[in-house]
Amino acid sequence: MMSPGRLARLVGHNAVRNRRHFALSAFGIVIGIAAFIFFLSLSMGVRGWVMQMFPIDEVEIIAPRTSLIGALGMESGKRLDESVVARLREHDGVRSVVPRMAIGFPAMGVWWYESTKLQFDVVGDGIDPGYLEGDPTAPLFRDYEAEEKGKQLAACGPAPKYPCPSLYYCDKRDLTCHHRVPMLISRKLVEIYNTQFAKSRGLPVIGAMEEFIVQRGGLGKMRLHMDLGASMVQVANLKATPRRIEGVLLGISDKAIPIGVTVPIGYVERWNREYLGEDAAKTYSSIAVRLDSKDDVGPFGTYVEKQLGLRLQDSQGQQFAVVIFVVTLFFLLISFCIVTISAINIAHNFFMQVSERRREIGLLRAVGASQADVRGMFLGEAALIGLVAGIIGIGVAVAAGAAVNLAGRQFLPELPFQPDSFFAFEWWILAGGLVFSVLFCLLGGLLPATRAARMAPAQALVQQ
Amino acid sequence: MPAESHNTVVRLRDIHKAYGSGAARTEVLRGVSLDIRAGEVVALVGQSGSGKSTLLNIVGGLDTAEQGSVEVLGTDYAAAGDERLSRLRNDRIGFVFQSFNLLDHLTCLSNVVLPGSFARGHAGSRKAVKERGLEVLGRVGLAELAARRPSELSGGQKQRVAIARALFHRPQLLLCDEPTGNLDTETGREVIDLFTDINRDDGVTLLIVTHEERVSNTAGRVIRIADGLIVEGEAVLEPGESDPADEAPARPVKAEGRSA
Repeated sequence: MMSPGRLARLVGHNAVRNRRHFALSAFGIVIGIAAFIFFLSLSMGVRGWVMQMFPIDEVEIIAPRTSLIGALGMESGKRLDESVVARLREHDGVRSVVPRMAIGFPAMGVWWYESTKLQFDVVGDGIDPGYLEGDPTAPLFRDYEAEEKGKQLAACGPAPKYPCPSLYYCDKRDLTCHHRVPMLISRKLVEIYNTQFAKSRGLPVIGAMEEFIVQRGGLGKMRLHMDLGASMVQVANLKATPRRIEGVLLGISDKAIPIGVTVPIGYVERWNREYLGEDAAKTYSSIAVRLDSKDDVGPFGTYVEKQLGLRLQDSQGQQFAVVIFVVTLFFLLISFCIVTISAINIAHNFFMQVSERRREIGLLRAVGASQADVRGMFLGEAALIGLVAGIIGIGVAVAAGAAVNLAGRQFLPELPFQPDSFFAFEWWILAGGLVFSVLFCLLGGLLPATRAARMAPAQALVQQ
Repeated sequence: MPAESHNTVVRLRDIHKAYGSGAARTEVLRGVSLDIRAGEVVALVGQSGSGKSTLLNIVGGLDTAEQGSVEVLGTDYAAAGDERLSRLRNDRIGFVFQSFNLLDHLTCLSNVVLPGSFARGHAGSRKAVKERGLEVLGRVGLAELAARRPSELSGGQKQRVAIARALFHRPQLLLCDEPTGNLDTETGREVIDLFTDINRDDGVTLLIVTHEERVSNTAGRVIRIADGLIVEGEAVLEPGESDPADEAPARPVKAEGRSA
């Protein structure tokens, strides 16, 4: 068989000579590979983006629900309590266990915003402040009431009122200044406010939360009244009468409840005890568990359901991941179809070429080309088409990705966690695209190359 | 004992070949036996369709016999695989065709060095290949046309380039299929003279298929074939017959006393 160097020279020469055929054969492959790389990179990019918002190595455990009360995690027999937390912490592959406790009684929020008094029923829960480690709001997200316990608090009454310092409010129960309850909200809530609420009421949208807080005069102005035990609808019998506390909105956190406010769990334990009783102060609404690896999610889910009799809350991350997977699969299927059709087109083109180049094949055989040489020559041409088309396809995909990113920056509203690029052009995707391209071209060229190699030289030479 | 040791370059025995099948089956060769000694110029003559080109192709390994044995330059075709036959064609056999079979997209020099692309082992540097190409082009008197394309050449020039290509690897056997068939009388004579020179100077054995008398007149031996059988000429060496080539190995056997 001829040497690879001579084969490469011959293939290069033939490619230049048959450039029209070459371009026709390569066109479909370029489109197919570009689509393959574009959609796979988009999928990987969006997946990374979604995983950042909804990490799937974190699962949320809830008690099985059979009633409305069960929704608060108070289903008898399947309670989420400290014993469950302890068992989860002992399980292999568990990195952290963070219980959440819902505010189990009605509460009404009042917020003066843009000279408008906004009143709403508050949904909320509590989390351990340690859960926010690394979050910019973590230093201020503390259980101040627990810290103040036993300390002499500044008086703010009786009348005439003494003003409380910034971030403090006057508690009507003992007329002393208490630190406002730190509160966090989720990005989702801000998005809902921006897209649903603000637009219809002519209120300003909230961009970056830090800027919003500064614009409104700092944290001191981010004040929210909360009437515990009060509601805009009828209130069931509670163990205590309504009272007002004040909260301070620290900012946005991914750890916050999607709709509502999240406060340090100590507050919720005390409020639940005050309004509902001891049981409510020891029952969690859900437990967030972060695992060492997302691969452990399946076995861990089985453990939770079979061994603990509890269940996993459907993760939004997983739901998104499934949607992304299905959409990606769909587009990859389209890419696959395009490349397959292109390979068939290449086979057709090569059959034509073999027919047109019969005499040349006969001559090459006469001057010493073996069957393997002829097969190698045609396969080399097919591989070269695949290589060139693959490289162009990569270029087209990257260029299309850049165009989409540019359009996204110009036309899309600001999205939470908006990445610099929606695409993850990983090296293995590009290399895979190139290999895919060469392989499909080789596949397309295989039959014609074999036919060319098996052609009887004497008959090939008499072609007119 | 290998035929080549007796300086028999080509040894064919009872060659049969047919094309088509069933009612359309046509027997082209019906038991042809032929010996060609080293240095001979053998003309294979006959009417169109007599089977002479098929016989030439079988000798060159471009076609296969259905029956019989073929031994060329010591290689038994039945035992040799495609790779070995290809190597034989590349190294030791040259072909010259009626229609030249030059690749139009290549220059004359590139056409001439084409066999070098399929050389097994080290074929020399690109410079050495180019020098050899120019050397054989010079041999056929066309060194100055090395950069031209075949479309810029006359018929005679094209055939000379084709001969140069056949000579590139210094073949021992040159198989020519109607080499003057597409040339005018004068140009044909020049090509015949070139063959004569190659045979005389390099001792290359020539098997020339032709139906032109002027070509067959230059051959040392003329074999006539009709209806797939050799009907005239000494085709096979008799057992025990003294081989003149044994006494003067590699000495060209040239027809004498015949006019073109």
